[in-house]
Amino acid sequence: MSERSPLLYVFLLVPVGYLVSLIGFPILYNLVMSLQEVNLGNIDTLWRPFLGLQNYRDALADPTFRKVFVNTLVFVSANVIGQVGIGCLVAVAFTRDFAGAHFLRGLLLAAWLLPALVVGTVWKWLFATQSGVINYFLASLGLIASPVHWLSDPSMAMTALNIAHIWFGMPFSMILIAAALTSIPDELYEAAALDGAGVLARFRFVTLPAISPALLAVACLVTISSLRAFDVIFAMTHGGPLDSTNVLPLFSYQASFQDFDFGHGAAIGMFAFVIVFAVALLYVRLAYREQEL
Amino acid sequence: MRHRAPPGWAARHWPALIAWAGVAIYLFPIYWMIVSGFKTQAEIFADPPTLIPHDPTLEAFHYVLVRENILRYLRNSVMIALPVTVITVCLAAIGAYAMSRLRTRLVDAALIAVLLLQVFPEALLATPVFIIFKSIGLVNTIPAVVLATSTRSLAFALVILRPMFRQVPIELEEASRVDGCTTLQTFLQIVVPLMRVPLMVVAAITFAQAYGQFVYPLTLLSSHELQPGTVGIYGFIGAEVSDWHRVMAFASLFVLPILALFLLLQNKIVSGITAGALK
Repeated sequence: MSERSPLLYVFLLVPVGYLVSLIGFPILYNLVMSLQEVNLGNIDTLWRPFLGLQNYRDALADPTFRKVFVNTLVFVSANVIGQVGIGCLVAVAFTRDFAGAHFLRGLLLAAWLLPALVVGTVWKWLFATQSGVINYFLASLGLIASPVHWLSDPSMAMTALNIAHIWFGMPFSMILIAAALTSIPDELYEAAALDGAGVLARFRFVTLPAISPALLAVACLVTISSLRAFDVIFAMTHGGPLDSTNVLPLFSYQASFQDFDFGHGAAIGMFAFVIVFAVALLYVRLAYREQEL
Repeated sequence: MRHRAPPGWAARHWPALIAWAGVAIYLFPIYWMIVSGFKTQAEIFADPPTLIPHDPTLEAFHYVLVRENILRYLRNSVMIALPVTVITVCLAAIGAYAMSRLRTRLVDAALIAVLLLQVFPEALLATPVFIIFKSIGLVNTIPAVVLATSTRSLAFALVILRPMFRQVPIELEEASRVDGCTTLQTFLQIVVPLMRVPLMVVAAITFAQAYGQFVYPLTLLSSHELQPGTVGIYGFIGAEVSDWHRVMAFASLFVLPILALFLLLQNKIVSGITAGALK
């Protein structure tokens, strides 16, 4: 019997309406702003000089925008590969049952629950050129001869940022992958073992096919969360040096709140909105299909 | 796969030993944050760095408590995170309950709308949200930050709670209705008490995320008196790059409530996330 109380419809629509008014409406407003000239002088009125697509043309003509766009792709790809790859290995490693396995695996989630700004701050200190503990470890292992300028060398900063952000996000990806692993029936492994499949063959032919839909969904979630990254970058490098770690959301933020050219920031934002939205559509399709099984 | 034979102690325990070592290395950054706060200015720059402080001191903690006004920052963080948690838990509870009880296409549409809306980065939304709040005079107030931040965890909360609410047996609700209770009374008196634990998990995660919110307070608050701990730490790294022991003392004190919450609820948080993620 299904309950048709009108109150249930109110219950359903209130949270949706809340999100529509606090996210949906600002996105529409952002679209309008991206077609206008918006500066500190005309914030309070909606009747601002109409620029058409000028803000978009300016963005596309800016060589920094192209650099930032490429950086965004590099950052997101590195995080998807790093978080899903490492997360998968760690999740599989924890399927061996030993004392404290569940507790230890859950403990990793502490990294994910930390405020992103704190994560960025701590990694900035770990990566410090002088007295940074990472340079110390690498030097004492004989891997580097002189201190690496992790955050001030434009060719190293993205690597440092990726390491920090993969560290931050991997535990969450790992927990989701671990959940998918528990749904694989033991009989599949037993049958494979009878056929003489080794550890690697079992992973390749049993585990991987069984969890690949889940891996794809996690990859979408990592893409979405990496496109959201701001705090870690802001704390570690501020997008520098020479924009080598700048990504679309940060670049948009800088246009709005450092140059006070809000229309330009809104236009840059629209590019990122479209990308995020496309990935989100893919994720919803995947999640929806999983659910109907 | 089960163990084959019971060999010696080391052979039986090596997976556990490797796992403990691996997790310890993984969480080293958190350890390093905490111990750095106990070092002196001289020791923080010691070469080689000391893995355990030789001369542990509370000087840095004292400094951030007295000179950096950390308590004011912490109070502001809590004043943002608490209302955000209340709003999110209430909205997610009613939404998830409706989603678990209504059988119409509207539920799917609502869920998809929520999932699609929550993906947009705060750093991008900051531009229109700032302009909108500025034009209605809401900028530089705590409610502005609360409203903006409360959108962050709502979708996640709904996704976690919906399968939990499904588990409440419908017979219980029918019995309550036979007793003459309205839908609202049934929800508040029967369903919510049964959902205590999942609601607590959602509250804990929401609190942690709102407590660590950075973009919205950075953008929407201009007066120092209102700024939360994240903005405080950020200002601190900008101003005194070399004072890493003090920055780390500040960061350690700031994350203390989050780490405590996590250690208390670790198991429930993990199972809450996996239950929500799978369905």
